[in-house]
Amino acid sequence: MSSDQTGPEGPSPPSYQLATWVLLGTAVVLVVSLFGVRLEQRPETTRDYPVRAQVPDALAVLMPAPPMSDEYMPCSDCHAEEPANRTPRELEDDHDDKKLAHGDLWCLHCHSADQRDYLHLADDTLVPFENSWQLCTQCHAKKLRDWRAGVHGKRTGHWRGEKEYRTCVACHDPHSPAFKPIAPKPRPRRPEEIAGGSSAIGEHAHDGL
Amino acid sequence: MTASDRDREAKPSTGGSESADASRRGFLKGAATIGVGALSGVPTAAKALEFDIEDFFRKNFRELSDEELEAVLRRVEEKYSNRYGKQVTVSANGPMEGVVFGYGLDVSRCVGCRQCVYACVDENNQSRDPEIHWIRVLEFEREAVLRGINLEDGNPYYEPDQVPQEGKFYLPVACQHCEDSPCSQVCPTGATWQEPDGIVVIDYDWCIGCRYCMAACPYGARHFNWGEPNVPAEEINPNMHIIGNTPRPRGVVEKCTFCIQRTREGRYPACVEACPVGARKFGNLLDPESEIRYLMENKRTFVLKSELETKPKFFYFYGSSVTR
Repeated sequence: MSSDQTGPEGPSPPSYQLATWVLLGTAVVLVVSLFGVRLEQRPETTRDYPVRAQVPDALAVLMPAPPMSDEYMPCSDCHAEEPANRTPRELEDDHDDKKLAHGDLWCLHCHSADQRDYLHLADDTLVPFENSWQLCTQCHAKKLRDWRAGVHGKRTGHWRGEKEYRTCVACHDPHSPAFKPIAPKPRPRRPEEIAGGSSAIGEHAHDGL
Repeated sequence: MTASDRDREAKPSTGGSESADASRRGFLKGAATIGVGALSGVPTAAKALEFDIEDFFRKNFRELSDEELEAVLRRVEEKYSNRYGKQVTVSANGPMEGVVFGYGLDVSRCVGCRQCVYACVDENNQSRDPEIHWIRVLEFEREAVLRGINLEDGNPYYEPDQVPQEGKFYLPVACQHCEDSPCSQVCPTGATWQEPDGIVVIDYDWCIGCRYCMAACPYGARHFNWGEPNVPAEEINPNMHIIGNTPRPRGVVEKCTFCIQRTREGRYPACVEACPVGARKFGNLLDPESEIRYLMENKRTFVLKSELETKPKFFYFYGSSVTR
């Protein structure tokens, strides 16, 4: 049996060596590239918050965060120079277009006073705007659990296959998260409105609800 | 001689190649036209009816052999491609192994916007005029709902400028795909039945329009084509399922099919995709990891008219403890 496996037709030692070197080389390139990408993606100041690894399943496709509004400019454009006033207060001159209706929160609960173009978690870890959902889930842990299961928030795509997810800010304005009323689509016709045509005899009258 | 008999007789002469198949179809078309022409004595009228006579005489969907089904699908495809001037595909995708569909609707989120209603109309080729909606959104007084939902109190005709309105509660209702479905039990022709994946379907060519099923359905989920259905050619959805969204003739009953043409391909129903508040959930009841199972195990759920023991597979739930 064993003599069959080590027969004269087996590959010669030089080709073993070659294969080993090729494999090793590939592995090194792979590790370096992966590590490099990771370093690039993660700003030095931001810790990898565990939530990030918990996106529902292998087939999950996280929809990109919606783009900032057209009027957006980096906060640091104005705020970099002046020292932060950390006293919670009603803003009078600037940002009066932002109606804050989100519990008892005020700006610096979420926005970082030290790194103006970042948000921050309760433990002061910085979070870039596109990962704002890490911030939301500090308080809304039950929503996070439901969202991961696909029950909170909208899913599109496939019930079996690729699913598309959205993060919190795709649907909620973080400054005022409650849904805003919208115009409904037209109501169905009443039986008396369809009477007279060939479709006459009121469908709804016999619907027997 | 029924259409399927003709199929069988024509079978040996076809070599199975595409061109042979096409010529067979041509032959069948001719045969049907002659048949109707002979009956009515008006060849021009027969032209318009040439396909319908074959549908009229065909076997029930459940009795069709694979070959007969294939012939039916191609014939229906050709009929609707011609009628609407675009390539129509008609599938007969069967139920998936180990799948029973369930639906979840979060009543704590629904805002009553009716986006689902019109997404459904577009996807499923419902008649625009006369108007047919498979989904009806009922509006209730919140106070009244606290004493229990009475479907008869629901108002489908609400039309404020904006929804949700203060003090109101919205409940979309369509086919509940009952395990013990009264509608299919009363059908005298076997034109409606429950598939192994739980979808209650209708064979439109076998429906005789008696509307017994509509009287039997406790949810008002079935709708009758009193007039000739009308869908503009540019709005027709060409992705069809033979017992799903193929355009219906006048005089038959129709209803929600859980978007059979989509869901049997693994996709979400159109209403799930349309809902702006993410209140609609869909999945496999037999899969413990599915969202439908999660909500049944973790949320307060209810079914409509549970006292009737129809065992709906449409579950309403409260996703949020905080209501508007």
